[in-house]
Amino acid sequence: MPIVELQHVRKAYDTKIAVADLSFRIEPGSMFGLLGPNGSGKTSSIRMMIGITVPDSGTVNLFGKPFSRAALNRVGYLPEERGLYKKMKVMDQLIFLGQLHGLDATTASKRAHIWCERMEITEAVLKKTEELSKGMQQKIQFIAALLHEPELIIMDEPFSGLDPVNAVLLMDTLVDLRNQGRTILFSTHRMDQVEKLCDNICLIHNSHLVLSGSMREVKSRYPANRVAINFEGDASFLNHPSIESAKNYSGRAEIKLRDGADPQALLADAVAKARITRFEVMEPTLEDIFIEVVGSKVDA
Amino acid sequence: MHNIWLIAKREYLERIRTKAFIIATILIPTLMGGGIFGTAYIAGKSKASSHIAIVSSQQPIASDLQNELEHGKDSLMVVDIIQPTPETRSELDARLHEKSREKGIDGYLWITPAASSDPNARPTFDYTPRSSADIVTSSTITDSLRTVLLREQLANRGITATSVDSLMEPVVVNTIEAGGQHGSSRNSFYVAYVLFFLMYMVVLLYGMNVARSIIEEKTSRIFEVLLSTIRPEEMLAGKIIGVGSVGLTQVAVWMIAAFLATASPLAAHLANTSSISISATQVIFFIIYFVLGFVLYSSVAAALGAMTNSEQELQQLNMFLMMPLFFCMLMLPLVISNPNSPLARITSLIPFCTPLLMNFRVSLSMPQPWEIALSIALMIATIFAVLWVASRIYRVGILMYGKKPNLPEILRWLKYS
Repeated sequence: MPIVELQHVRKAYDTKIAVADLSFRIEPGSMFGLLGPNGSGKTSSIRMMIGITVPDSGTVNLFGKPFSRAALNRVGYLPEERGLYKKMKVMDQLIFLGQLHGLDATTASKRAHIWCERMEITEAVLKKTEELSKGMQQKIQFIAALLHEPELIIMDEPFSGLDPVNAVLLMDTLVDLRNQGRTILFSTHRMDQVEKLCDNICLIHNSHLVLSGSMREVKSRYPANRVAINFEGDASFLNHPSIESAKNYSGRAEIKLRDGADPQALLADAVAKARITRFEVMEPTLEDIFIEVVGSKVDA
Repeated sequence: MHNIWLIAKREYLERIRTKAFIIATILIPTLMGGGIFGTAYIAGKSKASSHIAIVSSQQPIASDLQNELEHGKDSLMVVDIIQPTPETRSELDARLHEKSREKGIDGYLWITPAASSDPNARPTFDYTPRSSADIVTSSTITDSLRTVLLREQLANRGITATSVDSLMEPVVVNTIEAGGQHGSSRNSFYVAYVLFFLMYMVVLLYGMNVARSIIEEKTSRIFEVLLSTIRPEEMLAGKIIGVGSVGLTQVAVWMIAAFLATASPLAAHLANTSSISISATQVIFFIIYFVLGFVLYSSVAAALGAMTNSEQELQQLNMFLMMPLFFCMLMLPLVISNPNSPLARITSLIPFCTPLLMNFRVSLSMPQPWEIALSIALMIATIFAVLWVASRIYRVGILMYGKKPNLPEILRWLKYS
């Protein structure tokens, strides 16, 4: 039974279509990435999953049943922009939000303290929200989404505004939660950040779904035709016939091979002309795949 | 219900803890009380207390005027009587500029006897003050002169001094309310006026607070978190109840303060009038109409808040909140002059005017019971209608950012489920 299932969901606002015919399913205990550039319809899709807006057509199922507000106590939601009361103290705020999700004040307070310790913000609990940095507010928002121990965690751009150290802390926490059996959906426009995180992905562009499936399966659809070379000396091997395109960043080249080309032939040529310190054949990154898919669609 | 309670509780506690609330709650009654006592005190002390000289060759009128000015109702002056001699004027002019309080005078009144022998002819009065800005002294002299001359004329026509005094007593008209109650209309009028403005102020202030708190939530995007667990209707209800309770708390504090202040003998003594007290009926009706009025106006304010993105935009729309209140202000004189006229009856049944005008009528003279019942029923019906519309606007408007909606768009929102 999928935890979330969208079937042919469509949402139009007065002037534009936000989501057109979107279908996907999220299996229990998986980490699902909803990817796409800014304005592609990620937030609109998420809002329909938690009942803030209603789809114009199509269905949203949560926990195997058509959407109902009763299911929302099993969902934790982190909005894209921080939504906290500025003048309220952090702990009061967490308890209030916990209570709204059906916890009693004592439990909410106990869990909030544990989480604050885990997210390394214990010094902030008695401060007002407006006194905190953006990153800290983001962490508090994150905790608020998790206090009621939801089975499904939905996060809209969770990594925005976090420095690399805190982004890693958040990712590690998400992996822990997934390993505990929670289902996690998050959206991001930074595809490089999530490549190692997601089990399944769904790529949307201009409100249309362009690609979906498990990360491994999506990647295997695209041949390992990327080569990274670090070299010293003559760069003329970059004109080798097996190369479709190459970017040379003074001593470091990123190469895309022609279909069916053998990287070994390129290596032989390169060794003959320059001193090679690194030669790696790689899968395309998600970003490469996205550009390839969207680019070809635009052409077609 | 639980969610409404949580939202209302948070709203109430957050607001009641702010410095602004505490200051307004304490400061406003203090200032009002201070103002009332201050005016009473100054009024008591403002009897004219100047030192003047009367120059007259006619002894009776001069000493009569002296008596009136020194011991009269509004006067505590010191008066010297001087027989006119050729040097008198220059002497007095010198004394006008004298610094010392003993010798110096604040002005002198020169009485020139009437030239003709006609008994009705009046002497001429010339008053020379040290400062022409001393209006209190000159007006006291004018009043006293009128009294003195009147008394003299009456005495000339053979009316005895005691009869003269009783003739000159001011008239007191007692208003007896129907049913034989010896009510004080004047008091109930004052109370009604105070209640009217208290209500006007609080409805406007706290109605706007509801709109502001919605905008605050929109700008902080907290509603997105809230909407992921609760319904917009619950949020709206919680807000109105929470902010409304803050208003009620404030008014309760003010009313208790007003009751204590007006009931205390000190106040009665200082104000030098009988105490103005608020009856239990007035309090009960005030609370009923305040609560209903507040809910009505804050529902409108909530809808306005949901339509806008910033306080500036709200400012442009708040005329919708002000217009019915201004209309009430406009109708107020009509209701005062005739609380039971058809026009007053009809306007006080308009739900947006009921909280102010019907409450006013209740304080002035009790309307028919069916009128009160009808007004309350109409208000409750309107509240539900406005809430229905407001929650629709709220639900859609809260997720719209950027551009301000126009009327057709708002009408379209009403159709969204």
